[in-house]
Amino acid sequence: MNRHFPTNDVIERVPRKSTDPSVLRVGLVLQSFQEAPIRPGRPLHPRLIGLGAVLLVAVLVTDVTYANTLLFQWENFSIWLLTGGLTLAALGGVALVLDILSRRVARIEWVKFTGLAVAAMLSLLNAFVHSRDAYTAVVPQGIVLSASVATLLVVIGLWGWSVGTPPSSH
Amino acid sequence: MKSVSLLVGCALVSVMSGAAFGQGVAPPSTQYGAKPYLPEPRQYFVPPMQVPPGVGWKQGQTPIVPAGLKIQAYATGFEHPRMVYTLPNGDVLVVETNGPNAPIYRPKDYVEAKVKALAGSSAPGGNRITLLRDVNGDGVPDVRTTFIDHLNSPFGVVLVGNDLYVANTDALLRFPYVAGETHISSPGTKLTDLPAGPIDHHWTKSLAASPDGSKLYVGVGSNSNITENGIAVEEGRAAIWEVDRRSGLKRIYAAGLRNPTGVAFEPQTGKLWAIVNERDEIGPNLVPDYLTSVREGGFYGWPYSYFGQHLDVRVQPQRPDLVAKAIPPDYALSSHVAPLGMAFSQASNLPTRYRSGALVAEHGSWDRSPLNGYKVVYVPFRAGRPSGPPEDVVTGFLTQDERRSQGRPVGLAFDRTGALLIADDVGNAVWRVSADQIGGQPRPAS
Repeated sequence: MNRHFPTNDVIERVPRKSTDPSVLRVGLVLQSFQEAPIRPGRPLHPRLIGLGAVLLVAVLVTDVTYANTLLFQWENFSIWLLTGGLTLAALGGVALVLDILSRRVARIEWVKFTGLAVAAMLSLLNAFVHSRDAYTAVVPQGIVLSASVATLLVVIGLWGWSVGTPPSSH
Repeated sequence: MKSVSLLVGCALVSVMSGAAFGQGVAPPSTQYGAKPYLPEPRQYFVPPMQVPPGVGWKQGQTPIVPAGLKIQAYATGFEHPRMVYTLPNGDVLVVETNGPNAPIYRPKDYVEAKVKALAGSSAPGGNRITLLRDVNGDGVPDVRTTFIDHLNSPFGVVLVGNDLYVANTDALLRFPYVAGETHISSPGTKLTDLPAGPIDHHWTKSLAASPDGSKLYVGVGSNSNITENGIAVEEGRAAIWEVDRRSGLKRIYAAGLRNPTGVAFEPQTGKLWAIVNERDEIGPNLVPDYLTSVREGGFYGWPYSYFGQHLDVRVQPQRPDLVAKAIPPDYALSSHVAPLGMAFSQASNLPTRYRSGALVAEHGSWDRSPLNGYKVVYVPFRAGRPSGPPEDVVTGFLTQDERRSQGRPVGLAFDRTGALLIADDVGNAVWRVSADQIGGQPRPAS
């Protein structure tokens, strides 16, 4: 383990302005986790969250079409959209953690974060509702959940999909 | 590991559905007979479920029978045996079969396939009929041959004269049969097509011949639990078909029967009866599976309603015209027992108390917690009608803690001595239940 990840006391012994290139490389890798990065990388999570949110908003469209036509295939579209949306939401969550670790995100905007978390939770519940058979998979609980999630996500989306402020540049 | 994660998933599921607390589940005894207790339907986030993994029998283990009966393994080592049928010369046919692979239409189908595999219901079927012959009459077959091979998910079998009919999932086939032969190499001729793929949700085609042998009756199950695959794919399904044996012409004899897995003629009245598997996911006590006489032209409710006019709100648009004429079935067996085999016992050589009714094999299911079924019951009849609550005849298919299933009973038949044969598709065995000459009342051979 020590060979790949020098412990803190190793770092302490490494002078900051070392001229040895190998020492410098190790120092940089660690530094990127411990201090604000020198390059202001773009955060990863907004792209995944945005993609997932689009699928979850679309559930409202397929649900309304199902309720109007009673053609079962629209209900199947809804549950696949929910599955895709939730998968991307989960990946978005992982990306957010990576963004925080790599200091691409310095501070979480908690209001927006909470809004997205609520949308994800309601969509998970909605996936269970949509796993019922036939009409009650959509009407009434499914479509109410889809409409709530769509409203929430459109409002958050207009505000932007990033849930964190980037580190202030020097 | 796979099964551990699935068990964890099931535990989570039971918490979400409230089933883990065993709340207010009335015992099965409240749901026997003509007027079962029917609670209000519920819609779940996750319906109550309990999946006992199918593990098979240990060496020497058998199901359990009450005093007066004895049970032994008739034969073992099958590939998912589901139906047994005795030919006039005493040869026993064992139909080894399972359904075609179901397509994945929704994420739920994937989860259901996993649950099914855990419960031991996904083992590949042999797609063949095996013949067993007990030459010396000791109740253990001495000859075992492949009788008909390369079938397509067969289920029902019936012999009329020299014509042997086999109900594949997609067609009714006729084979020429010569008494005493142990193998049929003829590919058979198709009498008529039966509703099958591409979904083929309930794939079994049960089969019986009218007492005069002129007509065949085929039970065809629905293509969904409750029309979640659309109403169009239900054309000709959830019905009992009547097929003219000579011409192959067919018509729907009765409809609205969700999954009629067994059809048979009651010997005293000569009327057609069926066992039917009802709908799932609206509660541990909904909807009771049943045994019923089948009226020509009758409609029994599926999908729009159950037990007469109890509406199922999951089906839209509704059909009030059909609901109005829905016939309540004769006899509820209680919920989620999954009856898959039936035999009227008049011709049997079981003790007298089991000789005037119907034996029903309850395969059991994972759609209820606590579990129900996983046994063979006897429904007494008087004057051609059920006359009392079902009695347990063969139990012990589940382990005592109900955590695993060792076997699950399906097809029933009587061998030439009048003993009961039971196909067991998880134990991959055929069991033989006979009167116990020592322990119980001795019976003269019929």
